[in-house]
Amino acid sequence: MTRILIAGCTLTAVVGLLAWRLLPDPLRAEWTPAQRALIQSLSLSRLPATPGDPSNAVAESELAAQLGHRLYFDQRLSGNGKVACANCHQPQNYFTDDRTLAVGTQKGFRHTPSLVGLAFSPWFYWDGRKDSQWAQALAPIEAGHEHNLDRLQVVRLIAEDPLYKSQYESLFDPLPALPTAPHSASPLGNELLRNNWESLNLDLQLDINRVFANVGKALAAYQRKIKPGRSRFDDYADSLTDSSALMPGSLLSKDELAGLALFIDQAQCISCHNGPLLTNFEFHNTGVLAIAGQLPPMGRYDGIRLARQDEFNCLGNYSDAEPSQCTELRFAKDENDLVGAHKTPTLRNVTETAPYMHGGQITDLGEVMEHYNEAPTSMLSHNEAKPLALRSVQLKQLEAFMTTLTAPLQTEQKWLKPPDKSD
Amino acid sequence: MTSPTLRIFQLTGFFLWLPAINGWSQSATFSLTTNQGSALEIFSQLDPLAINTIHSWELVLYTADGAPLSGALMSVVGGMPDHDHGLPTSPVVTGEVTPGRYLLEGMRFHMPGRWLLTFDVISDQGSESATLEFRL
Repeated sequence: MTRILIAGCTLTAVVGLLAWRLLPDPLRAEWTPAQRALIQSLSLSRLPATPGDPSNAVAESELAAQLGHRLYFDQRLSGNGKVACANCHQPQNYFTDDRTLAVGTQKGFRHTPSLVGLAFSPWFYWDGRKDSQWAQALAPIEAGHEHNLDRLQVVRLIAEDPLYKSQYESLFDPLPALPTAPHSASPLGNELLRNNWESLNLDLQLDINRVFANVGKALAAYQRKIKPGRSRFDDYADSLTDSSALMPGSLLSKDELAGLALFIDQAQCISCHNGPLLTNFEFHNTGVLAIAGQLPPMGRYDGIRLARQDEFNCLGNYSDAEPSQCTELRFAKDENDLVGAHKTPTLRNVTETAPYMHGGQITDLGEVMEHYNEAPTSMLSHNEAKPLALRSVQLKQLEAFMTTLTAPLQTEQKWLKPPDKSD
Repeated sequence: MTSPTLRIFQLTGFFLWLPAINGWSQSATFSLTTNQGSALEIFSQLDPLAINTIHSWELVLYTADGAPLSGALMSVVGGMPDHDHGLPTSPVVTGEVTPGRYLLEGMRFHMPGRWLLTFDVISDQGSESATLEFRL
């Protein structure tokens, strides 16, 4: 009799525990006014016009976008003739790849971030070491493990390709006359490149830098066109204009709605993944493990120092902005709490952009939810996130909500494939 | 502090703060009193206030008897007490536009929720400070 009693109690406890972990809470009938407002604040309908880039005078030029489009898909923009921007930032994959770490001429050190909606970001790279899209576009070209080209060869490519030369000189000043030697030169890179750079006179160095910067500006003009499209979530958020009812099943399922409720409330995802692009483009330490084989990175702590030193930043010689317009750079924060902080990525199309985090450390969305639920101690500095104590069923609901954020890009099809020869 | 002007400021501040309680909108104007009785009026050039946009504020300082308080050194620090972090930028008072009216550049908020800012003022009157709490 006692054994039966113990077995019965144990069974009841196990069933109770499983039910607690796996059975969903009932949905409320209506959103509160504050919840409704938060949900609507995430809709693409609330996305303002793309902010201008005063440091790039051709940011809105269609001709610059055409030149940038051609450059973006051109593998000649690399040392081995095989690497274009589009190799890693693949249009068919929402401008990222499905690799853990990027692969250019060699395996890289970071996961490829998506370019979708990036024109709205004040900072670029996971650690924010660039302050404009055009300055960012220049760095991979000269990075040894990415394109592995040098700036003099970039200028040569523009000067020697008749279409590039024609488009370039329609947009900018005439190209400088180039010496036959050296063939390659850069203030960065190996000793040979640096020595060659030093052998050039100062005026030519400045001219080469100017053309190199303009190549970045054209690439940025193209990348500004990469924008997210309306998803099921946006239709749902806009439907709340007339009603505060949850309406399960009409546009979003019960699980997706429960996930949305968690997203804006108990799970506090909205703290960082906010606004219509579901990112604040800010830097946070969320306790992600270091990339295998690498020391934990300093993140934004180093990033802001590099941005300030960058000759291509908003305050530099090659920027088209007045110093007063460089507000993000002038008033950037530089404090110890930026140690180990990386930029919040957009959640638009997040179901299609695995793996996740700056090193692709987390394979799938289920693991991402587990990571934030646990909020582990950070290897450097402190994890800003706190443990959530969500149940298994709630993590699944959050994951379900993520599926409502995926949609084809708003960008015209012609920009999503290599340019035709006639373009 | 008994000045009628100041009482108006205090009442205005209270009513402007009310809509923020619901967490979805925030007026761009605030009125505060420093711990030494000066009045501080704040006008955000981003109106209404919103997250993720860098912008400037104008800070207008009055002495307790309503005269513009000129030549002051002002600074601001702040953050989100509930999240244990500061502002995402380092805003700076870059100049006095007209007597008693100061330009604060580099303001940006990156999260919805409760924000707490402290304004420190050093002037001929000595040191004083005022605290602003609001929700975005």
